[in-house]
Amino acid sequence: MRSARSFAALTLLAAVAAVVLFVLHLGLGTVWIPPDRVVLALLDRPTDPTDLTIVRELRLPRAILGLLVGCMLGLSGALLQVVMRNRLAEPGLTGVSTGGIFAAVLFLAGTWGLPSPGQLLPFVVLVGALAGGALVLFASSFRGRIDPLRLILTAVIVNAVLGSLTSIVMLNSQQALGGILSWLIGSLNGRVWDDVWLALPWAAAGIPAGLLAARAANLLQLDDESGRALGLPLQPARVALFGLAAVLAAGAVSVSGAIAFVGLMAPNAARVIAGADARRVLPLAALIGCVLLLAADLVAQSLSIRPPIPSSSARVGLPVGAVLAVFGAPLLITLIRRSIR
Amino acid sequence: MNHVEPIRLAQVSAGYGQRVVLDGLDLGLQQGTITAIVGPNGSGKSTVIRAMARLLPTRSGVVLLDGQDIRSFGPRGIARLVSVLPQSPSSPPGLTVRELVELGRFPHTGLFGRLGVEGVLAVESALTLTGLADFAQRPLDELSGGERQRAWVALALAQGASTLLLDEPTTFLDVRHQFEVLDLVASLCTSRDMTVVMVLHDLVHAANYADRVVVVDDGRIVADGAPAEVLTVELMQTVFGVAARIFTDAESGRMFCLPIGTGS
Repeated sequence: MRSARSFAALTLLAAVAAVVLFVLHLGLGTVWIPPDRVVLALLDRPTDPTDLTIVRELRLPRAILGLLVGCMLGLSGALLQVVMRNRLAEPGLTGVSTGGIFAAVLFLAGTWGLPSPGQLLPFVVLVGALAGGALVLFASSFRGRIDPLRLILTAVIVNAVLGSLTSIVMLNSQQALGGILSWLIGSLNGRVWDDVWLALPWAAAGIPAGLLAARAANLLQLDDESGRALGLPLQPARVALFGLAAVLAAGAVSVSGAIAFVGLMAPNAARVIAGADARRVLPLAALIGCVLLLAADLVAQSLSIRPPIPSSSARVGLPVGAVLAVFGAPLLITLIRRSIR
Repeated sequence: MNHVEPIRLAQVSAGYGQRVVLDGLDLGLQQGTITAIVGPNGSGKSTVIRAMARLLPTRSGVVLLDGQDIRSFGPRGIARLVSVLPQSPSSPPGLTVRELVELGRFPHTGLFGRLGVEGVLAVESALTLTGLADFAQRPLDELSGGERQRAWVALALAQGASTLLLDEPTTFLDVRHQFEVLDLVASLCTSRDMTVVMVLHDLVHAANYADRVVVVDDGRIVADGAPAEVLTVELMQTVFGVAARIFTDAESGRMFCLPIGTGS
């Protein structure tokens, strides 16, 4: 499993899978467009002019977001597992998901007399998410030191508190907060280019920086004394890696809501395939994150539900977060059974 | 003396929180020698090593590396001169021997630099010297305790520092592997002219592998010299509180220190 050749082969396989899923994703929708026509439309040589509009204007943003969000969550989880020294760590343990959702609920409950609060929502979620991450980091540092275990416990507590506050605001709210449900579970339904532009800067900065942190991550995986003896300043390194994980997760949450499981599954799968060296685990976790999210979103798109809203009979796609939880859990359990005996 | 001492502790005091562990300690090392630090539990043995590599900042006094104040070096600058093998090092499950040893180049490459030809050569020679060339692709957690300890020594060697500090390198190893690790350290000292400091619990190892034994008790040096001069029946009684017999085995030429009881 761990030889260099099989690692290269599996990485290539994952990359090919990501491309195939991306093309299929663009084909799927109310009208099925076969892969060859999707590719031609992407290359600006559509066989049918409507392909161009459907593929490039309507479907491309969602597929790109699937790619970016999967990548960000996979990498964020992998970094966090290093900082927290725990393979159960996932992007939600940065405090960004609960922070983002609490901000969203607070914003929607207040409406603040704004004409179109919906458009501002992703920004509000982003600010809340970053604040949640900062809160966890601040609350867990003691005399300027970050300890992995203290960080985990603090994150769990902060998440519990923010979750409770979210419930309280929702219960007290006069308005229907049905829209918040899709943020709670995470969805890519109806995403447009504006959402891509919101997530892109975080992805463009966070993904390369996260991958470049591999060597620091490797040293943090050793015991503290060994890492320090090799000359790594542990505390700044932990803060930097946590910050990267939080920024990546915040960028993802701001456009998709709190998608669970990808950030837990991707790094664990990467470790089963590639061993422990962060130079392999980090890129592979990002790649597997893309594949998982695109695959799950394909399923989510094809399984639609009719929500029990009296005024509407429209069918909507399942939120991708729900698909991931349902199909992801057995996959993850299988993986863990095989790797940890 | 012409040689600059690789490390010198001058009037060093250090401790944890309220507790003072080292109290005005003076100790200089000689290039190319093996020094064993021995003493009862809690005497400050490990703290001496930690102060030497600035893993623990000193409260007062000065630590000199090659004659220069250690505070004038950055963390990686210190790591280029001094390697430390902690008492119970740990690596993530699945990390291979080569991946571990490559981390030893961090003091030279920094976060983003390339390993380079020099780095690859340093890693290869560390693997060869520790007899791990055939194990390079194996995950550390699949190796025996002795092989694993050799891998950590290889990591320290890849660092390319001329001083090696080992904190109880033989703990948790069976007798044969203890000798393997100590023989390896002794051969490095000769072949690479390395200066070695080992914290040891086993006085027989100290007696037979060290050029010099430093006895630490309650944060102070209470004896310092060649093993045969230092390890005496009186010292065993006063420092360790045990009655002991000390003799040299005529056949092997090895010195033995045999504790026979608390002696009361």
